[in-house]
Amino acid sequence: MKSFTGRKHKLTAALPAFRASGTGSPEVSLELNRAFEVTKDTNYLLLRSYQLRTLAMDQSNNGLPPYAQGLSSPPGAMTPGLPMFSPMMPYGTGLTPQPIQSSNSISLLEEQQRQQQQAAQQSTTTQLSTQVTSSQPPQLFHSQTMTTTTLPGITSHYPSPMTPMTPITPATPASESSGIVPQLQNIVSTVNLGCKLDLKTIALRARNAEYNPKRFAAVIMRIREPRTTALIFSSGKMVCTGAKSEEQSRLAARKYARVVQKLGFPAKFLDFKIQNMVGSCDVKFPIRLEGLVLTHQQFSSYEPELFPGLIYRMIKPRIVLLIFVSGKVVLTGAKVRAEIYEAFENIYPILKGFRKTT
Amino acid sequence: MPGRCPECGSSEVVEDSHYSQDHLVCTECGFLLTEGLLTTTRSEETFSQGTPAPFFIRVPAVRKAVRYSESTAEVKKPCRNQIQGQKRVHDLCRILRVRPVVEDTASELYLKAYEHQSFLHVTLEKKEALVGCCVHISCRQHNWPLTLSTICSLLHVEPTLFSTVYQHLLKELRLDIPTLSLLDLVKTHCDGFNLFQNSASIPSQFLENKDKVVERAMQLVELASETWLVTGRHPVPIITAAAYLAWQSLFPGHRLKCSLGKFCKLAGVRQPPPASQRVKEMLDILVTLASQLAWLVPQQLDAKTVVKYTDDILRHRTLLLRQTLSFASTENTNGHIDPSEGTETSGEAEAGNSSGEMVPSVVEHLGDVSRRKRTMPIFLPPCLKQRKWKKACPEAETTLHTEPTTGEEEISDSEIEQYLRTPEEVAAFKSARAIL
Repeated sequence: MKSFTGRKHKLTAALPAFRASGTGSPEVSLELNRAFEVTKDTNYLLLRSYQLRTLAMDQSNNGLPPYAQGLSSPPGAMTPGLPMFSPMMPYGTGLTPQPIQSSNSISLLEEQQRQQQQAAQQSTTTQLSTQVTSSQPPQLFHSQTMTTTTLPGITSHYPSPMTPMTPITPATPASESSGIVPQLQNIVSTVNLGCKLDLKTIALRARNAEYNPKRFAAVIMRIREPRTTALIFSSGKMVCTGAKSEEQSRLAARKYARVVQKLGFPAKFLDFKIQNMVGSCDVKFPIRLEGLVLTHQQFSSYEPELFPGLIYRMIKPRIVLLIFVSGKVVLTGAKVRAEIYEAFENIYPILKGFRKTT
Repeated sequence: MPGRCPECGSSEVVEDSHYSQDHLVCTECGFLLTEGLLTTTRSEETFSQGTPAPFFIRVPAVRKAVRYSESTAEVKKPCRNQIQGQKRVHDLCRILRVRPVVEDTASELYLKAYEHQSFLHVTLEKKEALVGCCVHISCRQHNWPLTLSTICSLLHVEPTLFSTVYQHLLKELRLDIPTLSLLDLVKTHCDGFNLFQNSASIPSQFLENKDKVVERAMQLVELASETWLVTGRHPVPIITAAAYLAWQSLFPGHRLKCSLGKFCKLAGVRQPPPASQRVKEMLDILVTLASQLAWLVPQQLDAKTVVKYTDDILRHRTLLLRQTLSFASTENTNGHIDPSEGTETSGEAEAGNSSGEMVPSVVEHLGDVSRRKRTMPIFLPPCLKQRKWKKACPEAETTLHTEPTTGEEEISDSEIEQYLRTPEEVAAFKSARAIL
């Protein structure tokens, strides 16, 4: 499939006009604002904006294009080569209109859930001329028994969930966002200083460094502003942890590099990369973890004997969430801020379903 | 030719067999370098894989096992550790008296896990933990109630090591297992108590019928799970607490004086540390529900006396739960409509309601705070209840009060200088280190 990310579609150009025209509620502009922070994927932007305002598109695009089909999920964004946005690509070329996953990590179950979701959305939208994907029965129960156990001869011993809930495509439209924004708590980044370092010298001449080669083969250095810690290795590589935002992490890493420079080493600042981001938030109601693990068996792991929270491994985006009974949620494993926001927006409707009023 | 003769130094050493015994003999002087064993033990025969090359024989000449990777065998026979592990699995299943199908599943799982790349070369301790994990997973898949701590104690494995191996195994083999059913666990856990049969150490008034205790404990556990006492917590302390309360309530006259510690000692089980707190929480719930029973309201029940009426409360627990919740919601609406009268109604409720959510403070603040408190549910997980009175920490943190950093700001020299030692300091540090 051809990639369309490089080309400027006329819709992208028209987007600032939507913003300026003050479309709708503050939630919408919040969405757009947030969306604009993600500068990488313009298709994602387009998806979000079209959900918030169902505009009548160019008729040359065959009425209501399939972009409105339940693509609140970023799976659409992951495959930039979607033919649907191009006016050149007519319907019925043999390519299915749904976004086709390019990643291999989607399980069969996810695929079917997503297709089912899109089929449901398709049936609600008015004009529909596309070929619907053929097999749309809720094959969830079958696929669940497939994914549950790998041992031969064991049938499923637990009841199938009542309502198949999908973590990647919530049925609620995007405008009903939770209103809760996860706060970033920790950013881990790495940078290459580009020269070999003598850790003994650094530990001797720097005030804020500790070095215990028997325990760990790196110098641990700390600065006060931004409050961070760095591990500096003799190869010249450095890990910086503890910052609360991407910019702070970059600033902190630069300060460490400057300290090393002042100590007499020819330090550079190469390949700065954010490796992990951790965020947390509170949904403000208690959550029935036992219920959640029953319906989302394939993604959740809840062992009260080992850990009091439920470990939810979301597939798209690839984020791990720790969900606690008090309603606090910790999200980790993200490389960019948008993944954390997205993961929370995906999980919030599911958690609301397990809100009990007792 | 293997080796030199130590006596005459010649290199004419040949391998010869004398009455089916292998010898390495020097042809010059007849010195016997090594000889094979006349007899082998059964385990050596079982575990030796093929004849080793003569170079590796040293005194004493025992047939060493050749690794599969170094031999030309086509089918890998299970190694000693694997066979022992399989035996452990079988033994463990027999100790736990599980069904045969559970045992079969466990041994298949162990075989599969052992051959997996990530478990083939781990330490023996981890392999022992692997035995326990396979048995546990198999029990869970067949809904046989078993806790991790039981297996850890049986195998004498560190719980932390066990949990890492367990998580690793689940991830590697991609297994989905159902959650532990607490109600089933009650039955098996109570089986371990010694209070149900005649014994010299137990006074007669402490003996009890097991079925009654189990039934009442199950009802208490059900009630606890409805009221948020179970989610996120260890199951065993809850079960111990429920069994204790159930046992007490069946003959409160004599047993009220018996503390939880004494109960555990009598029963012959270890007292889990959180159990006493669970007892308190359960008693609070019982007192809350007891306030709904008309004939108990004048009694002014508290945590110590409510045990006597546990039977009544448990019999009507669903109704009482529903009533408590609806009472709480009407309290909320009353408070909203008429603040002045709300004080009276909430004051009444306080007499029977020990949790005291509907405190008159609700009607004092008529702002957002009171609205939030009014809609707060009556049953909450204890972690939320404790924090209830603290001010909610501002979610929208004050991260934006300063100008947002760009990451490309200028770094002043003075700021960096503060992190560097002056030459005097360096000298002082060096001399101090030289002294040490």
